[in-house]
Amino acid sequence: MTIRRHLLGMAAMLMAGPAFAQAPAPAAPVPGWAVGRPEGSTLAPHAARLTVTPLDQVPISSIRLPQGFQAEVFAHGIPGVRAIAEGPNGTLFAGTRAIGRVYAITRNPDGSTRTRIFAQGLAQPNGLVMIGNSLYIFAVNRVLRYDNVEANLDSPPAPVDLTAAFALPTEQEHGGNHHWKYAALGPDGRIYTNVGVNCNVCDTDRDKFALLVSFRPDGSDRRIEARGVRNSVGMAHHPVTRELWATNHGRDWVGNDTPEDSLLRVRRVGEDFGFPYCLGTWADPQYNRGRACGEFSQPAALLGPHTAVLGMRFYTGTMFPEQYRNQIFIARRGSWNRTRLSGFDVVVAHLDAQGNVTRIEEFLTGLRDDANQRFADRPAEVHVLRDGSMLVSGEQMGAIYRITYRR
Amino acid sequence: MAAALLAAVTSGVALAQDARRGAELATPCLQCHGTNGRSQTPEIPSLAGQPADFITIQMILLREGLRNAPAMTPFAAGKSDQDIQDIAAWFATLPPGPPDDRRPRDAALFAAGQALSGPRHCATCHVSDYGGRNQIPRVAAQREEYLLHAMTQYRDGLRAGPDTQMNGAVMGLSNADLAALAHYLAQLD
Repeated sequence: MTIRRHLLGMAAMLMAGPAFAQAPAPAAPVPGWAVGRPEGSTLAPHAARLTVTPLDQVPISSIRLPQGFQAEVFAHGIPGVRAIAEGPNGTLFAGTRAIGRVYAITRNPDGSTRTRIFAQGLAQPNGLVMIGNSLYIFAVNRVLRYDNVEANLDSPPAPVDLTAAFALPTEQEHGGNHHWKYAALGPDGRIYTNVGVNCNVCDTDRDKFALLVSFRPDGSDRRIEARGVRNSVGMAHHPVTRELWATNHGRDWVGNDTPEDSLLRVRRVGEDFGFPYCLGTWADPQYNRGRACGEFSQPAALLGPHTAVLGMRFYTGTMFPEQYRNQIFIARRGSWNRTRLSGFDVVVAHLDAQGNVTRIEEFLTGLRDDANQRFADRPAEVHVLRDGSMLVSGEQMGAIYRITYRR
Repeated sequence: MAAALLAAVTSGVALAQDARRGAELATPCLQCHGTNGRSQTPEIPSLAGQPADFITIQMILLREGLRNAPAMTPFAAGKSDQDIQDIAAWFATLPPGPPDDRRPRDAALFAAGQALSGPRHCATCHVSDYGGRNQIPRVAAQREEYLLHAMTQYRDGLRAGPDTQMNGAVMGLSNADLAALAHYLAQLD
């Protein structure tokens, strides 16, 4: 049945015609996500955990860090916690996907935390930006702004609906693919976000999908920052050069080790990173379309196959040793589309004075159990607190870990 | 026989505490979902033998107002995580099977559905016996009109799971395609 592996739109429908002679209607073209998917594979996304994980089941004791670093549970009982944005008074807002909530986490005087459900019933409200006292929530198909939020954590004000102003592609236009958002505030005061591709892999509208875009906070003046970016759900600006950096997910179903997830450095507005034709020097076996990979911008680093790179931050604190200053911490949520697990950790991309990535260092490990092919949690975001410690959100167990360093 | 008994006892021990409590909590569920978890009511799915993770996640999506099934709203509202997990654990222990009123197999429709199941990779996630796993439901022997309803909702963007795999899986299928798939899956045991 190799013919089933190569159903590509109309041409394949015609080829496949005889095989479906008994079908009540002509076979629909196989959707983009299925291209290259092998017969008989049993790889499927891991089940999300949407219930509260008791503290004694939060896998803090599994976490391994370099010498001198310690991990503690900062907050827990926060199912699905992902992206983190911090308010001027220190409130941490946390976005989610499946459970549809945005949490507000505050610190009690004794150092413990209190978590409130700030907003709920939203479709995958993963993208958060804090501008002054206003929280912007980017859900699927909705952009909402909540003003003066930290003074109103118990009774959030009605949001201002900016959906029409941002005019991002709709859920329907995405066909359910890569429509969840990550959002970041740029040093220029603009909001940066992703528009993921509307398939696993396909010939898409490259002015509409597979983009990094920026807007003024009111949703006007859309600018394409980078194109040919399959899906980025983590980005940050370099604290010195102000360049935009982003993590990027590679496509599925084309092997355990190809293509790799990547770290992108956007040096000039609008540059093209090659999706779906290429990723770095790797030419897509089905969608290259005869393009030379050298004509596209090259990723700053490759971050491993199917590792699911998410949140990234430059380390701007002073608590960690000097060697980590302005280096990039990256959460790798971990693979499903791979025979053996990869990722489920936090790595550091070390940069030289020119901003070239010199090496990728494993930083937070121990959550991936290679022997038993299990994982204990899925890091989805990193965030540097003002005291220089670092938060890591664990989406699977609904916990936020705090990493500190002591000489 | 001895081995089968041992297996039953072992799985019973693993689930006893949660599932026993879940059995009591599930009493109101049975009026629609069937006294043995096999629904005899049109448009209402069977829950017997569904993976516990699947029931838990769907109940939470219903509780949070993220899945629209008005009949379920009053039952899901305010349910604690623990109640949901216990109910799910109990339904997972029930032996699955078809509804009493399952219609006879239509050979042509069954073949058409089977022909679609390969290119759509249904068994990749639902497993080769279509018994489901983790967050992925058992679809074998499910009520046919419910399968058609669920797949139509996924196709038309009226429902999403914790991820969007099902929306992609049925994208572009015609009503006739979905009817054939529903018949094929409903006929499996």
